Amino acid sequence: MVLHKMRILSRFFTFVFLTASAVFSSFWTEDARGEPAVVEASDRFAGIVQVENAAIEPDYRTPWHGGVPGGGSGTGWLVGENLFMTNAHVVSNANRLIIRKVGNPEPLAAKLLHIAHDCDLALLSLVDPTPFEGVAPLPLGGVPRLDTEVIAVGFPIGGDRLSVTRGVVSRIDFRTYSHSGVDQHLAIQIDAAINPGNSGGPVIQGESVVGVAFQGLSGGSTQNVGYMIPMPVVKRFLTDVEDGSYDHYVDLAISTLPIQNPAQIKALGLPGGELGVMVTSVEGSGSSSGVLEVGDVLLEIEGSPVLSNGLIEVEGDLVNLNEIVERRFAGDEVMVKVWRDRKEKELTITLKRFLPYLIMAKQYGKRPKYVIYAGLVFQPLDRQLIEAYGIDDEVVAYFFSNFTTDEIYRERPEPVVLTSVLPDAVNTHLREFTHNIVDEVDGRMITCLDDLYHALYHPDEKAGEFAEIKLVEEGRPLVLERERVKVARERILRIYDVPEDHYLGGEG
Amino acid sequence: MIIPRVFFSFLLLPCLLTQVLANQGTAAHEPSGTAAPSLDQGAGAPSPSTSILRVNVSNQSSNFRLPWKRNQPSGKRGLGALLKKNRVLVTAELVANATYIDLELPGSGRKLTAQVGIIDYESNLAVLHPTDDPDGFFDGLIPLRLSDGCAVGDQLEVWQIEPNGTPVTTTVEISQVEVGSCFVPGHFLLQYKASGNVQYRSGTFTLPVIKDGKICGVLFRYSSKNEVSTILPSPIIQHFLTDAEDGFYDGFPNLGIEYAKTLDDQFRSYLGIDDETGVYVSSVRPQTSADTAGIEAGDVLLSIDGHAIDSRGNYDDPAYGLLNLSHLVRGNAQVGDESKIVVLRNGAKKTLKATLQRKAPENYLVDPYIFDRGGNFLIMGGLLFQELSRPYLESFGSEWRSRAPFKLVYAMRHPEKYEEEGRRKVVFLAGILPTRSVQGYEGIGGTILKSVNGRPIRDIRDLDVAFNFPTDGVHEIQFEDFPKIIWLDDALAQEDNFLHIPQRFRIQERMRLD
Repeated sequence: MVLHKMRILSRFFTFVFLTASAVFSSFWTEDARGEPAVVEASDRFAGIVQVENAAIEPDYRTPWHGGVPGGGSGTGWLVGENLFMTNAHVVSNANRLIIRKVGNPEPLAAKLLHIAHDCDLALLSLVDPTPFEGVAPLPLGGVPRLDTEVIAVGFPIGGDRLSVTRGVVSRIDFRTYSHSGVDQHLAIQIDAAINPGNSGGPVIQGESVVGVAFQGLSGGSTQNVGYMIPMPVVKRFLTDVEDGSYDHYVDLAISTLPIQNPAQIKALGLPGGELGVMVTSVEGSGSSSGVLEVGDVLLEIEGSPVLSNGLIEVEGDLVNLNEIVERRFAGDEVMVKVWRDRKEKELTITLKRFLPYLIMAKQYGKRPKYVIYAGLVFQPLDRQLIEAYGIDDEVVAYFFSNFTTDEIYRERPEPVVLTSVLPDAVNTHLREFTHNIVDEVDGRMITCLDDLYHALYHPDEKAGEFAEIKLVEEGRPLVLERERVKVARERILRIYDVPEDHYLGGEG
Repeated sequence: MIIPRVFFSFLLLPCLLTQVLANQGTAAHEPSGTAAPSLDQGAGAPSPSTSILRVNVSNQSSNFRLPWKRNQPSGKRGLGALLKKNRVLVTAELVANATYIDLELPGSGRKLTAQVGIIDYESNLAVLHPTDDPDGFFDGLIPLRLSDGCAVGDQLEVWQIEPNGTPVTTTVEISQVEVGSCFVPGHFLLQYKASGNVQYRSGTFTLPVIKDGKICGVLFRYSSKNEVSTILPSPIIQHFLTDAEDGFYDGFPNLGIEYAKTLDDQFRSYLGIDDETGVYVSSVRPQTSADTAGIEAGDVLLSIDGHAIDSRGNYDDPAYGLLNLSHLVRGNAQVGDESKIVVLRNGAKKTLKATLQRKAPENYLVDPYIFDRGGNFLIMGGLLFQELSRPYLESFGSEWRSRAPFKLVYAMRHPEKYEEEGRRKVVFLAGILPTRSVQGYEGIGGTILKSVNGRPIRDIRDLDVAFNFPTDGVHEIQFEDFPKIIWLDDALAQEDNFLHIPQRFRIQERMRLD
């Protein structure tokens, strides 16, 4: 999704995420934006449930602690036998999950089967499925046409009972899914009111589900804009988990420029016909690496001609060329036709996930990693870290926003940040150096948190009496007398109530 | 080709004008200049009515986002201190980007057009002189002399004039002498902090400060909350005036290092300076006094000209007590002076000789400040290229460090890579003016230029030359980042240049290559 993805990422700090998930967590204080129509629960809606999540949100500022209780509620719906679909953001970081039937307050214990943070979908099942025996799953539909009517059904704020709002399909387009903050997929804009609590609920046309309500847009100059996840995304998720695990989206990992300039056409020697987009970068470890080259013109993908604005025709609609890849899975091959050296060339790309993007994504269900040494807290750079500490240092911002574009990940797959200092006599002069990237320890380059841990806690035998920590773009090294650090270790852990001085990952 | 408008950079301007001043000194009609010495002793002591003038300034700053434009004009007022030879001392801030200046007699209100003689934005000082024949304007006025310097506890008079011409004198007391920021970022010079309520009577805060009838400083900042004035002191003014005497203004020298304190006992013992003081040199900027003297990153700076440096970077000044070390190279010395610097390197002391120099703003990869002119730019077809400058980045507002394109902010902070490539400036594509030649390129911007038609672009002049060499009527433009490469049709671009850019966008000058 690449051209757009890059441009959004490079402006990370000014991009505003207005999401149902953000609103969702403030569920308890949010005012209703309009009184939803309350209807009697009929059999038609029997498969629609309220999902309540008591979550533990990881605290990146004290990563050694368990986390902060949070959560809220959303909507889910029966998609198969004892199989409920909802949004990933409704059930993220779940500690306890409860499902409630329409018109029945009894809490039913539920468990998470699959969660896909990159497309904001999840599947739950009941521990005891008996309350839903005889309830039919909601039938799945297709992509609704523009200007046709749909209803959103769910349990938004403003009451405990089922609510139905009505609207029309306004637009079908690629959009950033704000749950991860980086993934773009097809999303359908509707003008039915979608409020906190609607998340995960079905959007229905006729008798069939045509989408999953998931985020809204509020503030600024927009009104009444709601988004739903369309069926191609929902069905892809269901297909992906058929083998028992979710394998994530794959990506071409390229960026492109439209070909609409006469000089461009002339210089590339294109025969004309207003076709193709020019490849402007190929991510080093992505699917297209070694296959596509900068300057290639992408003419066709899987037999579909690529128009000069990067769109292709799928099922009668013009959609982004990535839509082909969107419906594929890891290991699938796609055939592309490119224009290279004034000749057409057919190439095959084997799709895979592009992991370096993950640094940009919000991540869930993961215990934050850290290392504490002499009261200095080190953590791997990622989006949550930047948000939790409000880091605006240019060097850190540079590493973060150019991580993929400058291929920083090749040298440092996991940049390590000195995030804070737990004050102690041993580090009293080092507090001003926080929010910096660690470059070297005792002359060894630090490429990931493991490197740092081993360099500090298991130094070379010939290492001197001082641990020498060099930060990127900071001339003065941080030096710590190893003997003093040893003495301070127990004291710091005790005073700051830190159970262990590192966590390097590995737990779920 | 359109010939670009010729702009005098402010660095050239002072030299020319001080020579004019010097000539004036020997010229026939200079009534007050010759009269001054006798008045000094004879005709009574100088007072606000006899020795300060109102200075009314119209200024117009440049627009760094739309570099062919200037911003809306505005006005400033201040008070200037009359010096010998009809010169008037003010802050640089007051007359920055001036389009028109007049001097006004406080009593009669008579006005005389003036212009900037010498201006130094780093010390925030400027000297004005009349543009026209004074024709008796200065008759009866008494020029002020500079005092030698003041100390903490001294009582000073701030001179002002009521709108009706009545002189007002307010007393303030020096509470602190320190090295602080004057005007442009990153430049620190000696200054006084003085306490006492100063009422605002005449426009912006550029007010002469007097002791015993002599100038001991110029008040340039006042905090009404704390009632604290910040004053540019006479030693700095003296430095500024002495420097200009030979007709060539060199400015205040700088050392060109960044240093870190060594208060941290573990750091001190790591450096092997348990029993000594000094600061850790964390970086040395290329082509600066420190660089040519052979100071290296990692050295411990122990002393300058015999003054021991403490662990915070201060030395004990005989006149003022503890002061930042930068005063030793900036305030106390002139460009060309030699300075003896002792450093500790690998456990051994080394004495280095530095010939002090000043790195002028235009010699930085990214100009730290630009006044009195706009940034360099070039429009080709609908492509707007600019030379990166700090004022450009600052045009993104107070949050510019996170708002401006990261790569450009980063280039300013870390010029080394670009300097090693031999670049004099960073030229980047600032934006697109939607014309036919750039159709399809609308979303591109904020990306650093690498080459045009195969020629590396080291400054905006390179770019101007490179556009003379299209291949087959097509220009090839390469960038460091997205979109890496674009092409431009020469015929379409020329049509834009000569037709659409001047007519539709009303841009008369398509480039500035100062």
